[in-house]
Amino acid sequence: MSDPNGTGQDGVDLDGVWVNVAAEVWRRRPGRLERATGRLLRSPGLARALLTTPSLLLPWLISSVLVFGVGALATLGVGQPVVWLVAPAIAAVGIAYAYGPEIDPAWELSCSMAVSDRMVLLTRTVVVFAVNAVLGLAASVVSVGTASQDAAAITFAWLVPMTAICALTLAVAVAARSANAGVAAGLGAWITTVLAQRAAGGQLTAVITDANLYFPYLAVAACCAVIVLYATRPQRGPR
Amino acid sequence: MNIELTDLTRTFGRNTAVRHISLEAGTGVFGLLGPNGAGKTSLLRMLATVLPPSSGTLRLLGDDPAKPAARRDIRRRLGYLPQNLGYYPSFTVVEFIEYFALLKEMPPGRIPKAVASAVERVDLGPRAQTKLRTLSGGMLRRVGIAQAVVNDPELLLLDEPTAGLDPEQRVAFRALLRDLGQGSTVVVSTHLVEDVGAACTEVALMDAGSVVFRGTPGELTALGERTGVGDSPLERGYTTALAAARS
Repeated sequence: MSDPNGTGQDGVDLDGVWVNVAAEVWRRRPGRLERATGRLLRSPGLARALLTTPSLLLPWLISSVLVFGVGALATLGVGQPVVWLVAPAIAAVGIAYAYGPEIDPAWELSCSMAVSDRMVLLTRTVVVFAVNAVLGLAASVVSVGTASQDAAAITFAWLVPMTAICALTLAVAVAARSANAGVAAGLGAWITTVLAQRAAGGQLTAVITDANLYFPYLAVAACCAVIVLYATRPQRGPR
Repeated sequence: MNIELTDLTRTFGRNTAVRHISLEAGTGVFGLLGPNGAGKTSLLRMLATVLPPSSGTLRLLGDDPAKPAARRDIRRRLGYLPQNLGYYPSFTVVEFIEYFALLKEMPPGRIPKAVASAVERVDLGPRAQTKLRTLSGGMLRRVGIAQAVVNDPELLLLDEPTAGLDPEQRVAFRALLRDLGQGSTVVVSTHLVEDVGAACTEVALMDAGSVVFRGTPGELTALGERTGVGDSPLERGYTTALAAARS
């Protein structure tokens, strides 16, 4: 570990000069997206934290696009809107793996930063949800022609259960401090709901098409949001 | 005073990790010594604002970290090296330090020079653009120290900073500590009494959550002049103070 006060024979601060040179050589040039996000969020730190979200990295996004694509093809093939059943599950997994002690190796250090971990969690969650909603919408538009239900209603109907499942997954993930627990709870709840509604209504898509379920979905989402707010309060501290 | 603790206690369920600690610290290097489980890490986590106290009052850099705005301001002026740092394997040394400089809300224009300066301070210049996954444990520790000092913190908290450093690096690190202690409050938690003797202006010895000795390294050494057990004068003082606290 070096002495920062080195000077040359003519009194030039050589260490200072070197640091300036090194700063230029090592400087990371943020991409356009990061710069734009930083301006939008008014925080370059938050933008950087957002763009390092595991479930927003390219391999993850490619995997999501593939799953949605397969869902759209299956919808076209079998005439059943499989893509709408898949969308909430994919979004929930993405949200669980957006942030948390299991996901972020430097979690404790992150908790001591001026950009609060709660803000990072909120930003990442919103963006992961939005990205999955856009992918789901695109897959919906591609496959909607074959569905027997009303196209406009069914294209957006899955957003309500998706909100509820994502909120449940996030609530369990932050309360248990485990992404895997969140995924298990979210997927378990979704699969159970799908199967229960199929048993009751006879159709696989009853879980989306039954308007009576919208209020319970929204109620679950609201309750889970309260749990998330409580579980991420600053007074809780890291494990 | 940059640190003011009054009757500070932290419990985890039935276990009390930190027990009614009151102390103040200003500019200088403050050593926290103690055996495993003494409560040093819990105390440092509270000072780093990542763990709230169960009771008592805590003031850092003149502010109350329980208030959100004050906490954010304190965190901008804080440097923290946790015991288990954790790192992003795909980041380079510079990217890692820059990431935390951004999260500390340093002005973006100042960051490249601050990062370069921090990298040079821990002698990682030749490895600046190396991926963290390829570094040794000692090098990763130095990366952790660099991210802690990147914002020229007024309060620097280091939990076992010399773990994994070789003797040469440890000597250099002590010099860095003395340098940092000129203008800020540096709290170093360590098992290594020689680190305390070489770099600290003041020392607190913790045992079972309480501070059982507080004074200068010289005063701790003097405690063990006749009765202590250990290979160095400071170790003898350490064992004497612990034995006295437990008797």
